Amino acid sequence: MDRAFQRAKILTNHLLQSSPSSPAQTPALSSNACLNYSPPELSENYAFDINEMRKLIDGHHVEERDWLFGLIRQSKVFNPRVSGGRVFMSPNYNQSMEQQREMTWKRIVYLQERGVFKGWLTEKEEEVEMRKFACFEVLGIFDHSISIKLGVHFFLWSGAIQFFGTKHHHDKWLRDTENFLIKGCFAMTELGHGSNVRSIETVTTYDSNTGEFVINTPSESAQKYWIGGAAKHATHTIVFSQLNINGTNQGVHAFIAQIRDADGNICPNIRIADCGHKIGLNGVDNGRIWFDNVRVPRENLLNSVADVSPDGKYLSSIKDPDQRFAAFLAPLTAGRVNIAVTAVYQSKVGLAIAIRYALTRRAFSLKPNEPEVLLLDYPSHQRRLLPLLAKTYAMSFAANYLKMLYVKRTPQSSKTIHVVSSSFKATFTWNNMQILQECREACGGQGLKTENRIGQLKGEYDVQSTFEGDNNILMQQVSKALLAEYVAAQKRNKAFQSLGLEHMNKPYPVIPSQLASTTLRCSQFQMDALCLRERDLLNRFVADVSQYQAKGESKAHAFIMSYQLAEDLGRAFSDRAIFQTFVEAEATLASGSLKDVLGKLRSLYALICLEDVAFLRYGCLSVDNAATVRREITKICSELRPHALALVSSFGIPDAFLSPIAFNWIDANSWSSAQH
Amino acid sequence: MASSVSSQQDQVLVEAISSARILTLNRPKQLNAQTIQMISPLLELFLAFEKDPNVKLVILKGKGRAFSVGGDVAAVVRDIRADDWRVGANFFMKVYTLNYLMATYSKLQVSILNGIVMGGGAGASLHGRFCVATENTIFAMPETALGLFPDVAASYFLSRLPGFFGEYVGLTGSRLDGAEMLACGLATHFVPSVKLPMLEAALCDVDSSDPVIISSIIDQYCEQPSLKEQSVYNRLDVIDRCFSQKTVEEILSALEREVVHQMDGWISATIQTLKKASPTSLKISLRSIREGRLQGVGACLVRDYRMVCHVLQGELSKDFYEGCRAILLDKDKNPKWEPSKLELIADSTVDCYFSKVNNEEWEDLKLPTRAKFNLPPYAIAKL
Repeated sequence: MDRAFQRAKILTNHLLQSSPSSPAQTPALSSNACLNYSPPELSENYAFDINEMRKLIDGHHVEERDWLFGLIRQSKVFNPRVSGGRVFMSPNYNQSMEQQREMTWKRIVYLQERGVFKGWLTEKEEEVEMRKFACFEVLGIFDHSISIKLGVHFFLWSGAIQFFGTKHHHDKWLRDTENFLIKGCFAMTELGHGSNVRSIETVTTYDSNTGEFVINTPSESAQKYWIGGAAKHATHTIVFSQLNINGTNQGVHAFIAQIRDADGNICPNIRIADCGHKIGLNGVDNGRIWFDNVRVPRENLLNSVADVSPDGKYLSSIKDPDQRFAAFLAPLTAGRVNIAVTAVYQSKVGLAIAIRYALTRRAFSLKPNEPEVLLLDYPSHQRRLLPLLAKTYAMSFAANYLKMLYVKRTPQSSKTIHVVSSSFKATFTWNNMQILQECREACGGQGLKTENRIGQLKGEYDVQSTFEGDNNILMQQVSKALLAEYVAAQKRNKAFQSLGLEHMNKPYPVIPSQLASTTLRCSQFQMDALCLRERDLLNRFVADVSQYQAKGESKAHAFIMSYQLAEDLGRAFSDRAIFQTFVEAEATLASGSLKDVLGKLRSLYALICLEDVAFLRYGCLSVDNAATVRREITKICSELRPHALALVSSFGIPDAFLSPIAFNWIDANSWSSAQH
Repeated sequence: MASSVSSQQDQVLVEAISSARILTLNRPKQLNAQTIQMISPLLELFLAFEKDPNVKLVILKGKGRAFSVGGDVAAVVRDIRADDWRVGANFFMKVYTLNYLMATYSKLQVSILNGIVMGGGAGASLHGRFCVATENTIFAMPETALGLFPDVAASYFLSRLPGFFGEYVGLTGSRLDGAEMLACGLATHFVPSVKLPMLEAALCDVDSSDPVIISSIIDQYCEQPSLKEQSVYNRLDVIDRCFSQKTVEEILSALEREVVHQMDGWISATIQTLKKASPTSLKISLRSIREGRLQGVGACLVRDYRMVCHVLQGELSKDFYEGCRAILLDKDKNPKWEPSKLELIADSTVDCYFSKVNNEEWEDLKLPTRAKFNLPPYAIAKL
């Protein structure tokens, strides 16, 4: 009864402006202070230079990014919408799938006319590659569909031509691709085969009488599936197919085939169907393709690794089919890097909105007649959002490292790029989905509104965990690569030299039995703990696999059976590798307020990694120490609370790309706003 | 009830009519060019009015054929030559503080732009709540021709114009009339000048600080002007295509491509204007407008102050002094810009204009803290 009375009193206080001293006063018809929106900028201070922080986490092309944001912001095709006196840019997801696809295309044309893609395929400098990544990060903040349409065109179609093709392919196709005279797509996945590309069923033979390849879809499960661009716009495609020369299967090869003419009519012997409505990405026209004896000229074989002579002889410089196949997957790396780094920016959008909302939305008073408490002043709310903020900062540094690793690639670094990009792609996209879900819930019902973006982003970006490498499979490949590295080092009795495994050469790090706060915040300790888990798991994984093999199981089967350790190991590798990039970024800074706050974020990131159950499961951390870690996390959260606004402002996302609840959500929901 | 304050050599006339205050800029022979003797009383008056519960509305207008042509830069340059650049910096600091006050003003400001409004004149009006244009209005941000850049947080209001019209207006110094100002959103109302006395009387009569009521009063005297056929506002498609380009060089080559497609006097004239302007000014102005698009008024003013200090200091370029010499003092209209070409200006030099000034005594512009919780929503929205 008491509680009910108190609740009623609190509610009354919302409605009436009463003060404890004069409860009998006639209520004024002005709104109560606790229901007034107050911009977080007025109550929060910036303890560090947010522009410097942005430069550090964006890493490159800040001016270029802002130019692109401006291009979008100033154009009607990007669907500006006014709410609460502000303009917000976001696609109209209430449009039909057909309309969304047309809008995506119009937006691409608009950007192309303004020179955004200039030099993307015709210039070769590292600078251009980094610029491309920056543009994708910006476009991904607006909408995943436009980013995917462009990704298919510039990373997959063009990447295949650049990497599998030779000079005459480059000369013939790249300029027209950059200018969109050709719209490319990339037909690899089939209904029956996704990750297992080597077993696709599409088959191509060679007709030496006409000098043509003949491409066929031999069964329904061989139909090309999920082909972005195929349903509507694409004029050409890369076709992945088994190459059968005189009855011998030479494995998977890539061909160029035209699927539409310049007027958009589907070419003869090609059948195309739509993949239909999806949980997100409806601005991308995913299609299915069947090839019925489609004939393409001999030159359309992308022949950097293998060729067929005019009289039909198979020629390849790479004799080993395994290696040949690996060479074919190389262009997927750019796309994978792009997916990983784009995911980080969605986490930034989600956190910027949820944290700004938590700095303006109040709920419940602790005592009668006291103002209600800001969401972010609840330790529990801090505990939900701030570790994710630390994770996002960690991912930002890791993403910059990954981009540089890719752009500065050499033949020697290809294995590292493959392992790191696989691991980061899986980790970032999983993190992103976790972060968006938490942000969605942290915004309560407002998180459900499409205009508030976060909920929609979940649907739009969910696909990242399975396309261009299923996350689970990518992580298995990481563990496999670590295993191979281990076996190689042992066999040759040599030290570990790559994949960041150098720490394996040193003595086992020791974790103190009683962890103090100062120890927990020491980066050396944090690194030691992460290395210890990785090392321990790698040892266990190796032992597990060899135990199965000792029982006579095949290596492949042994690997399948050890999947639990493989998963834990994959995560241990990722956490450690990400952490390392954080430490390196921090080391570039002179001491000061920026470095101080980054130190806290780094500690928070390390400690939430230490919270992973694997530390307890394998005894890397005692139960007591695990409790200490947990306590320290809440402490760091409260220390980061005053920096929350500055930390999300440093993401550099223009206001128009956030959402109404990130600003004056009372104005945005007022009756007068509803009348427009 | 009308009274006049005769201090400060009457550069600002004050009338009090019920809850309205009418401020008249009073240097008609100099087209109301702003001096420290005009800005200081304006600052004081605006602050005093905000505190005074008897004041609900501030009307700002200019005497003569101009609202204001902006800062009296010729005087500023003379002062600087006599003393040092920090005297000039002090002037701009006061101007920007006034701009900020207006942008975050908790009472209503109605500016009547019945004549020329340029540079600092725009700064003293467009940040306020209502701007009334007339058939006599001539608006321009002509700074790039002077070796300066559109300051007074013009990067805020220009970058919020439709498409890339703001880049066009800011880089070329193109003149807009009242109809164009209304069409693009720089003015909130258009009232024929004959109706101004009636409008003023009505505003003084209303005794309200409700923007909806004030707006509806002004609406009663409004007319819908028609854009002239040759209006630049009818060329938005070309402006968008060209002025959205990444760099000044690319804007110029986009314009040149347009000329190849169609011989067009206006495009050629635009190219000529850009080629006559200070290359350094063009580069820093473009960057400033682009940054302004993503910033609030306060951040724009802090940036403007950094930039103007670099300009006055003259270490990166002396174009401002050269521009003032050629246009305002010697009037030979033939400035010798240095560097003379766009391609001679390194990105790193442009960066310098946006960084802090390397001088021990120099500090970033400190804007006054504005009342936190009684700011009306429209003022907060501008922050």
